[in-house]
Parts: sequence; structure tokens; C-alpha cells
Amino acid sequence: MIVLWARIDSLGRFVTQNTEYTLRILMMVYLSIRAALQDKTQGLRQIINVVLTQIYFTGWQALPLISVLALGVGGLVVLQALSNLSFFGGAQMIGNFLVVMVLREAGPLLVALVVIARSGTAVASEVGNMRANREIEALESMGINPLSYIVFPRVVGGILSVLALSFYFNIIALMGGFFLTQLLHDLPLAFYLDSLVRALEPEDALVFFLKNGFSGMIIFVVSCYQGLSVKRSPHEVPQVTTQAVVHSIIFVVAFNLFVSAVFYLNQLRSLGVI
Amino acid sequence: MKIESLKFEDVSFTHEGHEIIMKNVEFDFPMNEVLWIKAEEGAGKSSLLQVLAGLQIPQSGKYLINGENILDMSFEEFMPYRLQIGYTFDYGGLINNRSLFDNLMLPLLYHKILSPDEAQKRVLEIFAEFGIEKFMSERPAHVPGRVRKLGCLMRALVMRPQMLLLDDPSVGLGQDSIYTLVDHLHKYRKDGAFQHVFISSYDEKFMSHFEYQIVHLDEGQLYFQAVDPEKRVVHL
Repeated sequence: MIVLWARIDSLGRFVTQNTEYTLRILMMVYLSIRAALQDKTQGLRQIINVVLTQIYFTGWQALPLISVLALGVGGLVVLQALSNLSFFGGAQMIGNFLVVMVLREAGPLLVALVVIARSGTAVASEVGNMRANREIEALESMGINPLSYIVFPRVVGGILSVLALSFYFNIIALMGGFFLTQLLHDLPLAFYLDSLVRALEPEDALVFFLKNGFSGMIIFVVSCYQGLSVKRSPHEVPQVTTQAVVHSIIFVVAFNLFVSAVFYLNQLRSLGVI
Repeated sequence: MKIESLKFEDVSFTHEGHEIIMKNVEFDFPMNEVLWIKAEEGAGKSSLLQVLAGLQIPQSGKYLINGENILDMSFEEFMPYRLQIGYTFDYGGLINNRSLFDNLMLPLLYHKILSPDEAQKRVLEIFAEFGIEKFMSERPAHVPGRVRKLGCLMRALVMRPQMLLLDDPSVGLGQDSIYTLVDHLHKYRKDGAFQHVFISSYDEKFMSHFEYQIVHLDEGQLYFQAVDPEKRVVHL
């Protein structure tokens, strides 16, 4: 009985802690937007400069890695799809398979993981070091709100970067994958493109923006939050960076699962299954 | 926004998990003075200055500027006061990814206090005054500690605020820099800036350059400490 109560206590603590953390993150999103809107002195040019810098580091510099990953994933998925679907006589379904695998599921998740590994860690350690070096305090003492000056432009830059990277990933994975498989299979391009276009639905655009947009926001808000949670000492920086990675992955995966579940439940509902 | 009065009402402050720094403090700070904040090592002088700068929020009580409790204010509401309060750090505080020049330009341009040309002129003047022009294009990590310290001091001075909070300003500075700093403070005090100066320091030689009053932080309370005409502390 005691063990059971201890388990319930532990579960309660877990739920409370995670709910509190989520609420804090949401509060920071609200406060950052509010600070950016209320900050009359910051100016659009200042925000745009930081947003462009963030896009350069998060989006532009990640292109080589995303290209390799997209080519690999695209090649493998197209190859597997062709082999297995041809075996069952359903080669015309290749478009549906690719849209589900690459566009809806693997693309957003892989891009998010790359961005977490490259930029989430960079932002968390940068902001953490700023905190340890008292730069955040210095900004406040100069009347510069760190939420509008540091957090808001990074989050906006992050969201735009993830959206752009994901779009790029999909194009490279679908087209690059097709050209790679030409080495092994003789699949007509017109047939391939036709199959893809037929498989695409208007909801795919919604899923694309939801999954990638929110992934970008989650990664950069969590990373900034963790960075700002450094109290005084530089030894906390690697700890908060690790926590930023862990929390970002958990939130991104949970959000992707949630969107996929809602999407497929909606599809089942429209088919009259449920 | 002119700062005319500073008052603590029942203020208590502590860092989480540490000893109490201020406990139910009632204190009316004298205005238009140089106040020497004294306390034992680790008693919370820097924290007191940070509370005065609005950088730390007391757990309870009221911090009244011109009779308004600033602890109830949002970041934006506090801004007019904030721009009249200059704060310098005992260590760190410079923005590392900007040159010293850009560090000094940042508050002037961000708040559009001066036009870019006027801001540049003022910043170049203060670099020349302190004799560290050759470092102004360098980032903080690439300059000697003395220059970093000066950069942090100059960033607060360049705004010419009414209220100036200096945390251990003389530590790490050479004698020449100290004289320049003292001259700068006296010069601009005559011109209307730096009217209310709070200095936390152990350096009696440095403090001997000012006509000051002593505020002592001891066991969570603030006390005035009498000073004899020759600047020797006579009693609590």
C-alpha cells in the first residue's frame, strides 16, 4: 500500500512539475510578445537585425546538414517505398506513402531535432553565458527589456528558420530521393510527380505550418527560458543547455504526436469510421 | 523625470537560500548627496545597490521613488526612472558580442537620447577623457581587466543620469583612472548630472575625494553613520 501511495505521489509531482514548467514557458511567450509590442524604443530595424542573424545561424548554416539528411532520408524512403509497394502491386501509391512519411511525419521531426542540436544548444548556452556574465542585468539596467531584445527576435527567427528548413528538407528529400533511386529503379518522373500531387491535401499545408511553426517556437522559447534560468555561475550553463535539449525534444515530439493524432482522427471522422 | 525622494518602507530582501540582507527596513535616503554604502564583506552592499537600481525585487515592502512604489510598476512604467538611474557592476556587465564603443553607444541610441552623431561625439569624448581610445573597437574579452572595468563605468556615466550607483568602482583601476573618474563625477555634478551618488566601496582613499555621508548596512538594517570633518568614522 505504501509503495502504491509513493508511486501516486511521484506521479503527482511529475504532473505538477511539468504543468508548472509548461505554464512558465507559455507565460514567457506571452511576456515576450507583450514586451516587443510595448517596447516603443526598440524599433523594427533592431528586431529585424536580430531576426536575420538568427535566420543566418539557424537556417542558412544548417543547409548543408539538412541537405545530407534530406537526401539520405528521401533516398531510403523512396527506395523502400518502391521495393515494397511494387511487391504488393501498389506502385501508384508511392505519392501517398511519401507524403505521409516525409511531409507529415519524418520531415518536421528530423528538422526539429537538427535545429535543437545546432541552434537550441547554441541559444541556451549563449543566453546562459549572458546571464552568468551579468549581461542580462546590464541590459535591464540600461532600460532594455531582455524579453523583447533577446527572446522575441530569436523566437521569431527560429520559427521562420524551421519553416524554411522544413520546406527545403521536403523538396530535397522528395526530389533528391527520386534522382538517387534512378540509379537502381527506372521510375518515370511524370508518374512520380503525378502520384505526389494527387496525394497532397489542403490539410497538409495546415499540418506543415502547425508542426514546423510550433516546433520552432518550442525550441527557441525553451532554450531561451533555460538560458535565462542560470542564476549566477558559469558552471550552470552546460546543465541548462542539456535541459534545453531534453525539454525541447519532449515538447516537440509530444506536439507532433498530438497534431498527427488530431489529423488522423479527423480523417477517420470524415471517412465515417468514427 | 526628476528623482526627488527615495524611501524604503518595510523592505525585506534576501537571495533564495541565503541569509537575510534587509529585514523590514524603513529608510529615507538623503538626496543630492554622495552616499558611501558600507557593510561587512558579503552583507549585501551590491544587492542593496541592485534593489535601488530596480534590478532586484524585494520580497516585501515598498520602494518609493517620488512617493510612487516602483515595485508595483511594469518594466515600461518604471522606464522613465530607469533612464535616470545609472548602475555599474563590480565585475562583468559588458555586452560581450559588441565592441566597447558599441557598448557605450547602445543605451544612447536604443532610447534615442541623442542623435547618432551626438551620441558618437559624446562617446568619443569620454573614451578620450579616460585615455582608452585605442581599445574602443575591441570586444570586452580582448581588453585588459582595467579597461573592461572602465568600459562598464563609462557606459553608466555616458547617460549622465541623476542617480548613479557605483559598485566597488575603484577596484581594478589605476590611480590615473581613479583621478579621471573623480574629476568626471565632480565636473558633471556641478552641471546637474549624478545628483544622487551611491558608492559601495572599501577604498577609503578613493572615498576621501568626496564629501559623503555614510549609510551602514548591518544585520539587515540601514543606519546613518556619523563622519567627522576629517572623514574619519567616529561612531555608529
